[in-house]
Amino acid sequence: MKRVRSLLRRAAVPALAIITALLVGAIVIVLTDFEALAKIGSDPARALFWVETVNGKTQISGAIGGVVNAYGAMLQGAFGDPARIITALQTGNARDISTAIRPITETLVATMPLIFTGLAVAISFRAGMFNIGGDGQLIIGALAATITAILLAGNVPSPVILLLAIVAATLAGGAWGFVPGFLKARTGAHEVITTIMLNYIAALVVFFALRSPTLRAAGSTSPVSKNLTPIVDVPNIISLPNIRLDYGFVVALLMAVAVSFLLFRTTKGFELRASGFNLTAARYAGMSAGGSMMLAMALSGALAGMGGGFMVIGTVGQLTLDLSGGIGFTAIALALLAGLRPSGVVMAALLFGALSNGGKLMGVQSGIPYDLLIFIQALVIMFVAAPGLIRAIWRVKVAKPAPEIAAVSPEGATTV
Amino acid sequence: MSAVAAAAPISGEGLAARRALRDARIRGVVIGLAGLLALLLASSTFGVPAEFMLWIHEQGGDAATIETTVGVLWVTAAIGSGIVAALQLIRGASLRWRPWLFVVIAPWLLALFANLLGGKAAILTNVIAGSLELAFPISMAAMAGILSERSGMLNIALEGKMLIGAFTASVVSSLVFIATGNALLATLVAVVAAMAVAGLTGLLLAWLGIRHKVDQIIAGTVINIGAVGITNFIFLRVLQHNTEYNAPPSVEPMRLPLLADLPVIGPILFSSKPYVYVGYILVIFLTYMIYRTRWGLRLRASGEKPAAAGTVGINVLAIRYRAIFFAGLITGLAGSYLSLATSGSFQMQMTAGKGFIGLAAMIFGAWQPIGAFFAALVFGFSDAVSSLLNILGVGVAPQLLASVPYVVTIIVVAGVVGRVRGPASAGQPYEQG
Repeated sequence: MKRVRSLLRRAAVPALAIITALLVGAIVIVLTDFEALAKIGSDPARALFWVETVNGKTQISGAIGGVVNAYGAMLQGAFGDPARIITALQTGNARDISTAIRPITETLVATMPLIFTGLAVAISFRAGMFNIGGDGQLIIGALAATITAILLAGNVPSPVILLLAIVAATLAGGAWGFVPGFLKARTGAHEVITTIMLNYIAALVVFFALRSPTLRAAGSTSPVSKNLTPIVDVPNIISLPNIRLDYGFVVALLMAVAVSFLLFRTTKGFELRASGFNLTAARYAGMSAGGSMMLAMALSGALAGMGGGFMVIGTVGQLTLDLSGGIGFTAIALALLAGLRPSGVVMAALLFGALSNGGKLMGVQSGIPYDLLIFIQALVIMFVAAPGLIRAIWRVKVAKPAPEIAAVSPEGATTV
Repeated sequence: MSAVAAAAPISGEGLAARRALRDARIRGVVIGLAGLLALLLASSTFGVPAEFMLWIHEQGGDAATIETTVGVLWVTAAIGSGIVAALQLIRGASLRWRPWLFVVIAPWLLALFANLLGGKAAILTNVIAGSLELAFPISMAAMAGILSERSGMLNIALEGKMLIGAFTASVVSSLVFIATGNALLATLVAVVAAMAVAGLTGLLLAWLGIRHKVDQIIAGTVINIGAVGITNFIFLRVLQHNTEYNAPPSVEPMRLPLLADLPVIGPILFSSKPYVYVGYILVIFLTYMIYRTRWGLRLRASGEKPAAAGTVGINVLAIRYRAIFFAGLITGLAGSYLSLATSGSFQMQMTAGKGFIGLAAMIFGAWQPIGAFFAALVFGFSDAVSSLLNILGVGVAPQLLASVPYVVTIIVVAGVVGRVRGPASAGQPYEQG
């Protein structure tokens, strides 16, 4: 009983943070629906919430109705229609099954890179490094995988290309992450500034690389790479038409186990956490704080880079400029939500994967731009970092935040 | 000098002196190497002509032409670097090297610019005036950063506040213009609105950091991400389909009477957009406020040793709230410049890292307004040059040119050129007794 209560208490902040953020998002949707709100003087019901049946179809309109439509579309986009899944499974038609379960598998496809980047953020935060360069590390990894695949195409068997591309992505991402770790350890340059700058530089490097005729899709005027799927493809978990879910997802889960083991079952992991927890104490205990920073950032970048690799040669199949699409931001929100625990990261990544996959359908169906989710993510970070707000809004007792979250950046000389 | 350092006992002070000397020597050697490199580049470029034009009275009027060769410019750069390197090596840690650095950087950049032009003529007036203008948002971000950090608050959120300011300015200006048809009124109201909104965002940051003791970096990240989310969202949901709400009257250059008539200097300094003049005034005003007033002393005390400041009765937290609020006002002004005076409308994520580059300018200027202003000028110059080279179609990939400011920012923040010490307590929460 006591355990259940403590678990509930610990889960209270993340759960309420998500709910509050979605509610604020709803308010933003209502306040920006000028067309509906313009009618508030003449016809308040139609302005706010209105249900009618047109040609046998129920339609919801009005500003608040817009929220119902938007979030409804998000749910439908994320999880599909259960009734339809059951009928499809009963008929056994592959095409029907594929269409019915596609929302769920697409949610898992969106979750895959989020697990990688979420783990990346968690491991760096644990070591006291605020890595917000996930986007850059991911896309540099993706670039490395793309180059490897295209250069080796036809010369070596496809499984070997697959392996080498992922290794290249991991190393490239790791190197991209190592730079800010090295700079922080040696010069005190704050990783927030250096990682953000490296994000911009990575985007420009990829843009530059995609000018090359070797990489760019033949005849394309926009900067996109050749389609990599014919060269190399991560094997799918379910072989149904139109289903992209592949073994990259399984690797992501394995990485969560590996990171968990590293952080909590090894000496190195202990040192990482110790230098994140209290830099001075770690130094006095004879640990190399600088070494921990560099290691954590390199591992962090490597995870993000690996995620990028699995995206280009697996689920996406092509390198584009907006491959990451703000995954680095999302990763921060979900890692904090997860209390920087690898198991939590997997669950939070599933949640955010559902949100972002559902967000696409929301954009198409109800015209609510996907970018609302970026705002919601910022709110989630805020509520998790300031549980006092949750306490004040919901009048509940909540547990104090984990000390790692309360003090992400260790004391000591930093240059911002 | 080295004998003194070696004889000093190994105390904190002795160590610091030794480190300062070592840094000074490294600096001297690096600058010397830059000079040698310039000499090397000169040897192959004596044949390449360099032609710069300066407008004498106004754009497109009479012009003065400077004709030389790229090699000569490189030699000038080499001489400048040589002198500063020698001074640095002789005077050691006692040299106030920061101002001297401009003797190195300015001719170097000019020679590099001429080299990249490869014989094409360039209008120097436009490049310099353009640099001053493009430096404006960066230097204002730096001023805001200085205010916050001097008070003891890290301000990573400059970027987000600038973005919100740019958005607000564009929308408010468009709306007021639709309602009244008065461009000047629209601009003024929009600037005030942008400053107010960014100031309030600053208060949110301060409130999270001070009241809720959220790590100041996380609080800043919340605002940066939130700003991208909310401005993108409203842009896509509302402005994209109603472009009239995102069509502010643009801010035009303003010739200052008499001063603008000065030959050569007038078109460079006194025919800019009004923002630039406000920027000059603000830099001087802040320098005065920080170093010459009681308020400034208290501000610096709160950032250096808040406990001591608190003991003598200074309300540290009130000072920090106010500093962040003022910083917000300044970033709002910078943001309004982006949407009203550069692109003529709000674009998604139009700040493109300028808030962070401003932080680099702040560090490079050693947390002093005037130093930060000149540092911002270097970034402005690199912006102006890369856009000109882009237009001229010089054979350098635009992506590489565009990445220069970001690379320089990393170098500056890493203190490769010279380590500086910021306010001692920046970033640490203060518990008021």
